[in-house]
Amino acid sequence: MAPGGDGAPIYPVYLVERQRRIALEVVKGEVDVDELASRLGVKREDLMRDLEELRHKGLIAVERVEQQRLVLTEEGERYVLEGTPERRVLEALKRAGRLRRGELARVAEQLGLRLSAEEAEIGLAQLAAAGALRFEDDYVELSNPEAAESRVRAVEEALRGIAQGLGAPEAVVPILKRRRLVEARRRASMRVRPTDHLRQLVERGLLGEAWVVTELTPELIASGEWRNVVFKPFDLSAEPPTPTFGRRHPYLEFLDYVREILVSMGFEEMKGPHVELELWNFDALFQAQDHPAREIHDTYFVKGGLLGRFGDAELMRRIARVHEDGWDTGSRGWGYKWDPVRALRLILRTQTTAVSARTLYARGEGEYMCFSLDRVFRPENLDAKHSMEFYQLEGIIVGRNVTFRHLLGFFHEMARRLNLGEVKVKPAYFPFTEPSVEGFIKHPKLGWIEVFPGGMFRPEMLRALGLRDVNVAAWGIGIDRIAMTVLGVDDIRLLFARDLAFLRSVPRPIPESMVG
Amino acid sequence: MPVVEVLLWDLERLVGVDLSVSELEVLLPKLKCEVESVEGERVTYEATHDRPDLYSAELLSVALKGLLGVERGLPRFKVGEPAGEARVEGPGYRPYAFFAVVEGVRLDDEAIRQLVQLQEKVHATFGRDRRKVSIGFYDLEGVEFPISYVAADPRSVKFKPLGFTIEMTPEEVLRNHPKGVAYRHLVEGRGVVPLIVDAQGRVVSFPPITNSEEYRVTEDTTSVLIDVTSTEPEAGRRVLSLVASAFAARGGTVRPVRLVHARGYEVSPRLEPDSVLYELSLTERLLGLRLSGEEVRELLLSMRMEAEPAREGVLEVRYPYYRPDILHPVDIAEEIAMAYGYERIEPEVLPPKHPGREHPLEVFSREARSIMAEMGFTEVNNYMMTSKRVMFELMRLPEQPIIEVENPRHEAYHALRTWITPQLLQVLASSKHAGYPQRIFEVGDVVIPDEAAETRSREERRLAFAIAGKGVTLTDGLAVLKAFASQLSLSVSLQPLEHPSFIPGRAARVLLCGEEAGFVGEVHPQVLVNFELQVPVVAGELNLDVARRCYLLWRRGSS
Repeated sequence: MAPGGDGAPIYPVYLVERQRRIALEVVKGEVDVDELASRLGVKREDLMRDLEELRHKGLIAVERVEQQRLVLTEEGERYVLEGTPERRVLEALKRAGRLRRGELARVAEQLGLRLSAEEAEIGLAQLAAAGALRFEDDYVELSNPEAAESRVRAVEEALRGIAQGLGAPEAVVPILKRRRLVEARRRASMRVRPTDHLRQLVERGLLGEAWVVTELTPELIASGEWRNVVFKPFDLSAEPPTPTFGRRHPYLEFLDYVREILVSMGFEEMKGPHVELELWNFDALFQAQDHPAREIHDTYFVKGGLLGRFGDAELMRRIARVHEDGWDTGSRGWGYKWDPVRALRLILRTQTTAVSARTLYARGEGEYMCFSLDRVFRPENLDAKHSMEFYQLEGIIVGRNVTFRHLLGFFHEMARRLNLGEVKVKPAYFPFTEPSVEGFIKHPKLGWIEVFPGGMFRPEMLRALGLRDVNVAAWGIGIDRIAMTVLGVDDIRLLFARDLAFLRSVPRPIPESMVG
Repeated sequence: MPVVEVLLWDLERLVGVDLSVSELEVLLPKLKCEVESVEGERVTYEATHDRPDLYSAELLSVALKGLLGVERGLPRFKVGEPAGEARVEGPGYRPYAFFAVVEGVRLDDEAIRQLVQLQEKVHATFGRDRRKVSIGFYDLEGVEFPISYVAADPRSVKFKPLGFTIEMTPEEVLRNHPKGVAYRHLVEGRGVVPLIVDAQGRVVSFPPITNSEEYRVTEDTTSVLIDVTSTEPEAGRRVLSLVASAFAARGGTVRPVRLVHARGYEVSPRLEPDSVLYELSLTERLLGLRLSGEEVRELLLSMRMEAEPAREGVLEVRYPYYRPDILHPVDIAEEIAMAYGYERIEPEVLPPKHPGREHPLEVFSREARSIMAEMGFTEVNNYMMTSKRVMFELMRLPEQPIIEVENPRHEAYHALRTWITPQLLQVLASSKHAGYPQRIFEVGDVVIPDEAAETRSREERRLAFAIAGKGVTLTDGLAVLKAFASQLSLSVSLQPLEHPSFIPGRAARVLLCGEEAGFVGEVHPQVLVNFELQVPVVAGELNLDVARRCYLLWRRGSS
């Protein structure tokens, strides 16, 4: 609804002093921008921004038109200053009445006018064309002074008008052009006219003057003065300061999402200690005591040689039997003498499979799915690709009818939820699973990378832990690698970065499947 | 995992068909191997620990023939008349030795390279760096049966060790020969050393250290003597079968050796297959595949095994004796799955039978982290591994019990943290460019030695926070503590705390529901100097297990 229309009230409008002056000038009537600029004594360019704002406020209308503008040539300008040749010839003839052509320059000079021979010819030709001269032999006579005067004045006025930017009568323009006294220049001009709204505001005295503020203050709000002010516009290209804010660690936030995904798939979270007995980390997993992974190159041993305490002699006996000869599992076993003392040595867990073993021991047979998302340790030199400490996402699916296909199904589902794309599987070897599998995903830079190792826990292991007649599908994912893909970092140390500026800058790692 | 190198033309002559690199790239993963690189004819792949037969071209070719259908079922090698007798009277710490002779082999440079590769890779993996099993092979020319594996005085005899032109006693070999130096820990200080000598008392080998130069295998060798010594009989027997089979795969004829030992005698090598009973229902129970007995037999043929019905629903599966990885019928199930093709097994998502659940400690931790982030704190994530210097020395603390590792890789990471605050100071020290004030926190586990516990340590979930900047005082820390506590309805009380890491009179012990839960304090200027920090820091640390108990008290009391 237009302001003021249909009886709606007209609210006062407050403009900054500069804009108010413009509005009051425009309200007098439609005007060209150049004219407006000269009236206000400012440059055309400086007006533009204000005009745009006034237009935006509905106070003025701006029309752009392309115009032809006449400008004087150098010769035209000279004529304006010195008089046209015909004027000078006419003045000389008025003085002399009749004279020889050759005497024109001399007579003119007596009048203080310079007249070259060429100009004399031009002047005579012009006056002759007006029918104001009579020629007789070498003599020339002013026969019709009125006609001459009118002809000369028409050109003079036209030239002066053009010099002042006021234009010239249509009829004269082609003559001037032919004489190369003027030329046409194309030019975009802008015309500004007041809107009815502006007229009404001015008529009713509702166009007030505002002051510019950079900041809205409580005083402005309380006093109502905010209505009369104009807020200094912001330069949007300027870089704003970075706010200080708190946030969760991007990597840990990603792990939170991973937990959420696992929980939504029906997994319960399990926990176990970081300092672990070899028993849980290796022996319970049917990993032979001379297995290379149990050497100092692959396992951190706790200093001091103190052995852990473990009370379940029955479990120890079962582990000894499956290691030595397979017991009643139908296995050959590893065929060596199992050492219970070795099993009590303390290490930093190398795999959260230790947590799975503890869970299976505690919960026994049944139908359940558990996961662990925690840290493990391996003796590695810390560099871009290796870390002595990293997270493992471990899981078990326990049940009578659980098969290898369910393990593959889990990999596909996990890849789907984390948007990892196609999964490729191939046979693999892990000491405690059979069959064993490695799942690969396609990394945009690295090609196929292994992210899903897993398998079906061996019956020797399950039997020792007290489980029979169930299958356990198990997997242990190096989640750091996936996190690096999601977070877009290529150095594993950045997951434990100590630089706050970096931590604040990492974008949020929401898995695509959860937002898309 | 061992990395193995083979040449395409050598494999082709062993398999007997043309092979391409792209074919190998498909076939090797079916045997758990992964191609690492291909340069012209040279193919490098990583094999797995359970398949020592794939550590050289010979038995790899046997497996490939099965996959390609060139030759299926159990591999069969030429066997000849017994070659002689060996007396096994080795030292008690390495009592077992097994021998075989292979005749009529043609060994070119590449064949020797492959067999040495097999020897070295088996040593490194299955042989546990020669401790458990070691392999030797020699030119039989000049070796006179019967041979003996004996426990000898290390100074009693002399022989030229491999690569040397001078004779040495075994004792001198341990001091001067590179292999002697590398492996002397396996035999030194036991009084006697193991030696293999022939009927004339000539030293053939000094296992598990080195051979005699006299019997080195060369391209002129046509008959080889193989020995395997071990600390476990089964492992030794299987490895001998493996090495003898590899030589036989090069076209040789195996001639057995009769072993005479204290327990009686046996014929070596064992070339007859081993066997296991396989219940057909396992295929479906474990793999989720429905396959008939006939299909299973077909698949096993391509894995170089043979199966015959033993009784209803049960197959007797026979497999090469050199396969140490077959322990249980599930290992046969994996062979079936590999032959069937993992890529053909259809994945199936198991619907959950119970709702999932996050661990209560993680739920509580997540809440604590949210509260801290909402109060403008940036979360950091430090390693649990750290150093005593950071935990104690830089914090002006006397050394306290801490879990340390025996074999650290770096002095900065040799122990498990007992508190988090020092690591927060490390973060502040690394972030001096990031503008002040800085407010950071971490929720994580610490490990505290505890004699009474199963693992001689207990873990605590902690929340640690720090505020750094001009004008920061204990009041800022207390404000955060109070706000945190009020968000969880924890009743807080404070007691004055004197602690070397904090300014005297400007630290407090924090109790939640009356239970000691942590501290908050203004970090001591000397500590700041130690961390090269130039602004005041207030730090606090809370035991979240205590906080969780306190929260539960309120929750239960109020419901």
